[in-house]
Amino acid sequence: MGDETAAPGAAPEKVIHTYPLIRHSDMSEEMRVEAVELTVTACEKYSQNNELAARMVKEAMDKKFGPSFHVVVGESYGFEVTYECTNICYMYFGGNQAICIWKCS
Amino acid sequence: MLKAMIKRALNINEEKVLINKTLQCLDKDATNKSRGNLAEDDALDWLKPRTLIRPDDQEEVPEADLEEEVGRILTTINPTWVADEVAYHYGKGKFMVKPKPMYGKAYPLYIHQGTAIRKDSDEAKAQIAAGYGMVSFDDAGPKRVKVKKTKTEEEEEEEPEQEPAPVEEVKDDEQVQEEEKAAEAAEKPAEEKPAEPTEEEPKAEEEAVADEETQEPEEKEAQQEDMGMEEYLDIKPRVKKLANQFNFCERAALTYNYPRRSVETQTIPPPRANFGATALQCIIFDYYQEDYARKMKEKEDEKPKRLKKKKAKHVKSEQQIHDERLAQRIREAWAILERLVNQNIYDDIAQDYRYWDDPSDEFREGMGSLLPLWKFQFDPMRSHAVCDVQWNPHYQDLFAVAYGSLDFTLQQKVGCLCLYSIKNPAYPEYAVITESPVICLDVYKEIPYLICVGLYDGNVCVYNAQLSLESSYQYKSNSVRDKHSNIVWEIRWGPRLIDGEPSFFSISGDGRVVQWAVMPGELQATTIITLTSSVPPIPGPDGTMLTVNSCGSCICFHPEKTEIFMVGTEDGMIHTCSLKYNRNYVRSIQGHHMPVYRIHYNNYNNSIYASCSGDWRVKIWEDGRDEPLFMFELGSPVGDVKWAPYSSTVFAACTADGKVYVYDLNVDKYRPICVQAVVSKKTKKLSRVDFNLKLPVIVCGDTKGTCHVLKLSPNLRVMCKPPKKAQGIDQRTLQIMKLDKLLSLVRDPPFQTGVVDEKFEDD
Repeated sequence: MGDETAAPGAAPEKVIHTYPLIRHSDMSEEMRVEAVELTVTACEKYSQNNELAARMVKEAMDKKFGPSFHVVVGESYGFEVTYECTNICYMYFGGNQAICIWKCS
Repeated sequence: MLKAMIKRALNINEEKVLINKTLQCLDKDATNKSRGNLAEDDALDWLKPRTLIRPDDQEEVPEADLEEEVGRILTTINPTWVADEVAYHYGKGKFMVKPKPMYGKAYPLYIHQGTAIRKDSDEAKAQIAAGYGMVSFDDAGPKRVKVKKTKTEEEEEEEPEQEPAPVEEVKDDEQVQEEEKAAEAAEKPAEEKPAEPTEEEPKAEEEAVADEETQEPEEKEAQQEDMGMEEYLDIKPRVKKLANQFNFCERAALTYNYPRRSVETQTIPPPRANFGATALQCIIFDYYQEDYARKMKEKEDEKPKRLKKKKAKHVKSEQQIHDERLAQRIREAWAILERLVNQNIYDDIAQDYRYWDDPSDEFREGMGSLLPLWKFQFDPMRSHAVCDVQWNPHYQDLFAVAYGSLDFTLQQKVGCLCLYSIKNPAYPEYAVITESPVICLDVYKEIPYLICVGLYDGNVCVYNAQLSLESSYQYKSNSVRDKHSNIVWEIRWGPRLIDGEPSFFSISGDGRVVQWAVMPGELQATTIITLTSSVPPIPGPDGTMLTVNSCGSCICFHPEKTEIFMVGTEDGMIHTCSLKYNRNYVRSIQGHHMPVYRIHYNNYNNSIYASCSGDWRVKIWEDGRDEPLFMFELGSPVGDVKWAPYSSTVFAACTADGKVYVYDLNVDKYRPICVQAVVSKKTKKLSRVDFNLKLPVIVCGDTKGTCHVLKLSPNLRVMCKPPKKAQGIDQRTLQIMKLDKLLSLVRDPPFQTGVVDEKFEDD
């Protein structure tokens, strides 16, 4: 019985999700796509350094959509932020990273 | 320069008086000149009136002096050049004549000396003291300096040579002198101290001299003096500006400057919101799982959209199928149960049907009887008449019944097609209500569950008895386009068409025979023949002639020649027609005097057929003969006549008085071997009769919706006994032989047909 329950449990574990998954976003479509792309690029480029990834995303977003963006990249954190409406994107990436991008100037 | 020159000349002479004189002259001349100008410019009155402004300290000069002309000679010889100047040459150790100064190819044409002097220098002080302090320093000072400088230079360099010139010059140019004087007065204090000779100026002078004649320098000097005068004049107006045409007026306007004002506004700050979440591995994982599952589901949903739809339909229908199957099974079970019950109830009838043969037949020579077995009724159709009845060609226990109405004054609204099985007399196996009373039907031999029916309203339909009871017709003629315009009296399946579609023929009261091809989804009508009548065209209301069709009442196909069929009409004609001719009849005989109700070909001899009519008669015909072979009068309209399938000489007829007549020509050519009253003639009429193909039973329908199944007694179904000579001959051949023998008997003695009556009792 125990084996049986373990076996089906193991099967879905094998599926590793690496795609970006938006958890919460009120950005415009264009901006969201851009943000997701940037995040993917940054997180893949600096897979070992979240700070650099966050910096890269932040700077690119600042350039494209004006200051001041804030970016958090991490695996485990909690946050409560104030953002300018239509300027937040909270997403997961790579199965274990949570990225929060918001704008508040 | 001019002043300088004058001064120079004067200085040379050291005559102060003269200087004063010339200065006065100059001054006076200036006034004259201005006047002259004014006079000359009379035409220019419109110009601004000029006022002569003269310096305050100008000396008075007598008029004569002013008008005195001062000559001036200009030479090309440079007066400053010393022709035989010598210098000691140290290299040669002797004096040598200096070469003419050369400046190469560049000749300065104009050299301008800066005019600025230091404010606290002596010159400047002197000038200020002379009253120029009022003028801005920059303007007044330098010019004075220049005048002085040039004067000093020239004093030094030209003194020796230019001695004779001054007087002349003064005389030449009074203006110059005057000016000079004016200048002199102001500059006297400065004159005393000789300025240091500059290097450039003398050189320039010398060079000029070298190149040109003596006249030239004078000109130059004159020019210089002119300039000097102008400069001097320019200085003066600084105190009060002299107006002349070289003075430019500068004007300026100040445009209106708009007043400034400041406006302030404050925008609404962009809306903000708060968002908070917690990122944990478990949360991320869960959300990924959730999303993945959702995606999988979407994929499944979207991928085979069509399939899915189909599947959904299929699923639905599966449910239905399941229900239907269940219902069917229950129904079957109930049917079996019903049959069990019915067989128990009608056990004696079943026993009779199976085993009871009327024992009296043995004692009645040649005569037989009909044993009534079951009665079939369908409750909703109690008031309907059985308009047609036919055994199923495939299932021997099954017969189809068409419920219609023959009471044309009180037509029923609906009709019914029923299939009864003798195994269950209580209820039809299949019953479907039609929109119009059913007048005729025919069961397709090839596909025994296809039944075509002809309706009272002229439509024809095809029913599929296999389909569920709820479904109505499978095909129906188009009510608008091609249905019959009168009652469809008989309908018969025909051969398949070239393309393989089943087809059937219908004959109607409108005089048309129509072939219906059962195409997928529709019935395609083709009019085979329009029955013409001998009645001449009737004049219509508006002069047109209306041709009258004879009304067809029955149709019968030749068993072998599929294109040959016979048509009975309501005026008693029997037309033999062919599918190949749609205008003419192959043959036409006046068979009856009343509507021909049915025609039926003999099952064994294709040239023999029977017809029945409303004129109470049944006639047996042979193809090609205009007279019938046999003629039987039954005392009542004969609704139907049928040859028995088992015997070539037996036929049955049913009459409106409720009797079934069975004849066996082999037994009795003139009288029926059985007359059985099946229903009460007061209330009911028999409409149709049909032999079962296998079983020894017949079915006949009455006008009250009841079908009677009757068993033929042994005498009615006597089979031929093969003669002793030829034992192996099969029954069919024997039957044909029997009929042939009978026919030969009938044909050979040329007795009058049609007068057959009971006188001829013995054959």
